[in-house]
Amino acid sequence: MSAPERVGKPEVRKLATYCYQCVAGPDLLQVKVVDGVATEVEPNFGACDIHPGGGKVCVKAYGLVQKLYNPNRVRSPMKRTNPKKGRDEDPGFVPISWDEAFETIANRLLAIREKGLTDESGYPRVAASFGGGGTPQSYMGSFPAFLSAWGPVDMGFGSGQGVKCTHSEHLYGEFWHRAFTVSPDTPLAEYVISCGANTEASGGVVGVWRHSEARIRGMKRVQVEPHLSITGACSAEWVPIKPKTDPAFLYALIHVMLHENPRSRLDAPFLRQHTSSPYLVGPNGFYLRDAATRKPLLWDEARGAAVPYDTPGIEPALEGRFTADSIEIGADDEVVAQGRLEGETAFTKLLAHMKPYSPEWAQSICDVPAATMRRIANTYLDHAHIGESIEIDGKTLPFRPVAVALGKTVNNGWGGFECCWARTMLAALVGALEVPGGTLGTTVRLNKPLSERHASVKPGPDGFMAYPLNPTDKAHWSPKPNIRNAYRSLVPLAADTPWSQALGPTHFSWMFLGETPPGLPRVTYPELWFVYRTNPAISFWDTATVAERMSNFPFVVAMAYTRDETNHFADILLPDQMDLESLQLIRVGGSKYVEQFWKHEGYALRQPVVAPRVDAKDFTDIATELARRTGLLARYNDAINRGVAGVKLKTELWDFALAPERAYTRDEIWDAVCRAASAELTDGKESQGLGWWKEHGLRTKPFPQSDWYLFPTLAGKGLRFELPYQERLWRVGKQLERRMHEHGIKWWDRQLAEYQALPAWKEFPKLWEEEIARVGGRAEAFPFWLLTSRSMQYAWGGNVGMQIIREVADNVAGHGGVIINAGRAEEMGIAAGDIVELSTPRAVVRARAVPRQGIRPDTLLLIAQFDHWVTPFAKDFGVPSLNRLVPMSMDLTDATGSGSDLVRVQVTRAAA
Amino acid sequence: MTRWAMVADLRRCVGCQTCTAACKHANATPPGVQWRRVLDMEVGEYPNVNRVFVPVGCMHCADPPCMHVCPSTATRKRADGIVTIDYDLCIGCAYCAVACPYQARYKTDRATFAYGDQPMANEAAKFDPGRLGVATKCTFCHERIDAGLAKGLTPGVDPEATPACVNSCIAQALHFGDADDPASNVSQLLAENQFFRMHEELGTEPGFYYLWDRKEANP
Repeated sequence: MSAPERVGKPEVRKLATYCYQCVAGPDLLQVKVVDGVATEVEPNFGACDIHPGGGKVCVKAYGLVQKLYNPNRVRSPMKRTNPKKGRDEDPGFVPISWDEAFETIANRLLAIREKGLTDESGYPRVAASFGGGGTPQSYMGSFPAFLSAWGPVDMGFGSGQGVKCTHSEHLYGEFWHRAFTVSPDTPLAEYVISCGANTEASGGVVGVWRHSEARIRGMKRVQVEPHLSITGACSAEWVPIKPKTDPAFLYALIHVMLHENPRSRLDAPFLRQHTSSPYLVGPNGFYLRDAATRKPLLWDEARGAAVPYDTPGIEPALEGRFTADSIEIGADDEVVAQGRLEGETAFTKLLAHMKPYSPEWAQSICDVPAATMRRIANTYLDHAHIGESIEIDGKTLPFRPVAVALGKTVNNGWGGFECCWARTMLAALVGALEVPGGTLGTTVRLNKPLSERHASVKPGPDGFMAYPLNPTDKAHWSPKPNIRNAYRSLVPLAADTPWSQALGPTHFSWMFLGETPPGLPRVTYPELWFVYRTNPAISFWDTATVAERMSNFPFVVAMAYTRDETNHFADILLPDQMDLESLQLIRVGGSKYVEQFWKHEGYALRQPVVAPRVDAKDFTDIATELARRTGLLARYNDAINRGVAGVKLKTELWDFALAPERAYTRDEIWDAVCRAASAELTDGKESQGLGWWKEHGLRTKPFPQSDWYLFPTLAGKGLRFELPYQERLWRVGKQLERRMHEHGIKWWDRQLAEYQALPAWKEFPKLWEEEIARVGGRAEAFPFWLLTSRSMQYAWGGNVGMQIIREVADNVAGHGGVIINAGRAEEMGIAAGDIVELSTPRAVVRARAVPRQGIRPDTLLLIAQFDHWVTPFAKDFGVPSLNRLVPMSMDLTDATGSGSDLVRVQVTRAAA
Repeated sequence: MTRWAMVADLRRCVGCQTCTAACKHANATPPGVQWRRVLDMEVGEYPNVNRVFVPVGCMHCADPPCMHVCPSTATRKRADGIVTIDYDLCIGCAYCAVACPYQARYKTDRATFAYGDQPMANEAAKFDPGRLGVATKCTFCHERIDAGLAKGLTPGVDPEATPACVNSCIAQALHFGDADDPASNVSQLLAENQFFRMHEELGTEPGFYYLWDRKEANP
């Protein structure tokens, strides 16, 4: 071809927008548009002073221009013409008009409303799945308002939740310190112990930026993981631990701190005043309580007497055994002991509990030398700066620059509870929880309000924070779930917010379609399933089973960018306008996922940089039309007015509310949202609309750094961190066990054992060996641990069809095959590029061998998740996925409903 | 004098390839052509192994082997140290690609695009047939530098005058500036840190420096 003819000077525009393709977003960027063609993505340097990553943009955003012009896009609405669904069935998609598409969907929806929103089992007839840790919400415009207007929707069909996320952290983290996600206070930390947290690959621009700064400043990070990840490469030390033994490693660190160091190396005042350490625990394992007030007791050294925990002016004893007139309250409010009872402090119980877990005990489990663990524990103490303080925003706060980070597979599935508990204890022992330099929670999703962690701190029982546990008492627990994965019945910690459905055992939705376990209403197929920005046929556990179940869904509506493995089973494909074509205003800054804690907060606009390239509609217009055709406009507009699109349109200070029965255009809706956002940021003084936001892209106001830290808020309210002793969760577990047994449910018993006041080490790796035996294999025949690891180029992005992403990702080792220890490969006669078979007793995949030094000899690594068989471009990669090999298994599901992203396999060299 | 130079801080680089992608955007290189890229290297044997990410590309050598072997004088060196290729003079012999110790040069004989034979709109808009059949490589984005200087901007400081890879770096690993100016950002970095240049032993005097540790305060 020849160069394009150009007459005169080209028209060059740069438009501000955002990329939120991963949970560590948003990135604020500019798109260069030359003569109406988007040509380049650039950082938004205008945002460098407010964005903690200098306004820079992650590599994924550089795929957006190709995403816009990709010839493989779905170019118009389509309908399936082959009624048979299956992996090997050609759907026979043919183009249809938008009117026909809307009419078909609306008729289905209206028929469902006619029958009732829930079916004979009590499950919603409509389901919806969204992927990427909540990132689709930054692209789906006003669709949440449509779902709100609709009524019950089952959003519990997982596409990665529970197995690909840091699930235990989400639940326990939020319980202990409002930490749906956890991060070191990287800007101030000195020493970080990271068990598999792959921040340099999954922490986004801000994570990379901050850790780079911290390394130059002198922060040391010890990376504890079976393979040398990107993050390990950027760390001061790599400790190649055996998979799934992280609890033993962390327990050994606690042991060293408790039993090999003087108490003066710990933050005793913090433990006494701000944790449950001094609470007295009775002979039955429950707190000793004051008989009259039922408040937990502690021993006041000043009075020499047991007193309720909130008695003013007390000097709590941290250690010791004491006797007091008291009661113990067990499950279901039963008084299990009363009278003159002897108790010991929770801290004393902790000491005894951790006594056996020495480094020498742990070294054979973890395959890490005891001396290494001892050195790391002592170095952590060296950097804890016990007793020091720092001034931030004019407030004097404790300064404890040490933190522990946990990664995926470490903090989900079995062992996740133990790791999260140990991590939070390591912080608490030196007072480094929610203080400058320490371990921070960065967002909430199970407590309200979602936008403000501090406001979610409300007084609860026994001097701790309130938590919206799902009920386990006899009057309120129900064996009839609201959705198919039964999170409300099975997982008290999952709470019951809009996020909870996706934080239960989301694989159960798929598993129970095959066979519903006794005691639950028969799990049914949803009559209509919306799918957006997710591809569970690739991204979930046991993808072959997931795809097989999908083939039985009666009616699937997929918002489709290109064809893919999930919309292969769809009945209607709707092309929504992609990232650079559509429009939405989102909240940015404050404190959010991972390392996204900013010194500013406000809003950013995503705007069309060019006209739509295909016959696609903005998701807001799709939502409005569905609402109109289903007679839900009034409820839909009301939901938008209430703030479901991100900002309340009507308050005492402003009123931009939509009229109930009118179908507004996209720009009208977002103009109102923009005006409300302008008003919110200026306390009602200003009301700039969409035009202003298109020109400027974002607007913020200061967010105080001191609000990164929750400790002052707890202390101010007189609340304690609920550590070390888990009396509340233990009681909840007992009650849940009773309820389930009362209804004949025994299949959850293994999970119920996770409810422990002080978690003990269990032989976690053995669980995966047992799984091999359960499916007919011998564990010793499957000696390798197959792991996965996030790819910064791909993670969450849904960008596997982008040529540029594949090209640059291939520069990073492992994207083209399975990483195997070079020495082990040589022993097995496997050379670089050889085809090997990775097999479990039930499935086998093929991959090219990528021998590397930075991996344990008993471990294999498949980066990201490929294995595509429909997605254009990606289906030709020839790279398998761990997901095909990992079983959906009740036995490998922990009490939070999550599983770990690993599997035992055998490796053989494939025949030529 | 001015000597434009690139500095890569190996303590900071995470191998994310954002610079690789940004370069491809800014310079519209075809699939497989990466004027800037980052190597993923291992040093040592398990368990004593280090993994390091090393940005590479044209080193803009003071004594460039590619220039010496060029039979058509297409490859030249500017007074400010930037090694250039005149596509109108280049005959595509590829001697330079063989001579370059840094494997920094590419030659593409026919138009290739991300998805098959047809360009997407963005590819068509920036397609340059003059780059077919000739040697290409990193230019240090000299058009940006020159245009920026004309506006009174400082390359390496003002984004508009700075190479795209440096602008894009999310770890602040890549820096650009005038190595002959002792007050420049890169001179400061070189003064404060220990560094090396790749294949220094070949005497090419690269204009690309790698930082690997802070200098001792009192050596």
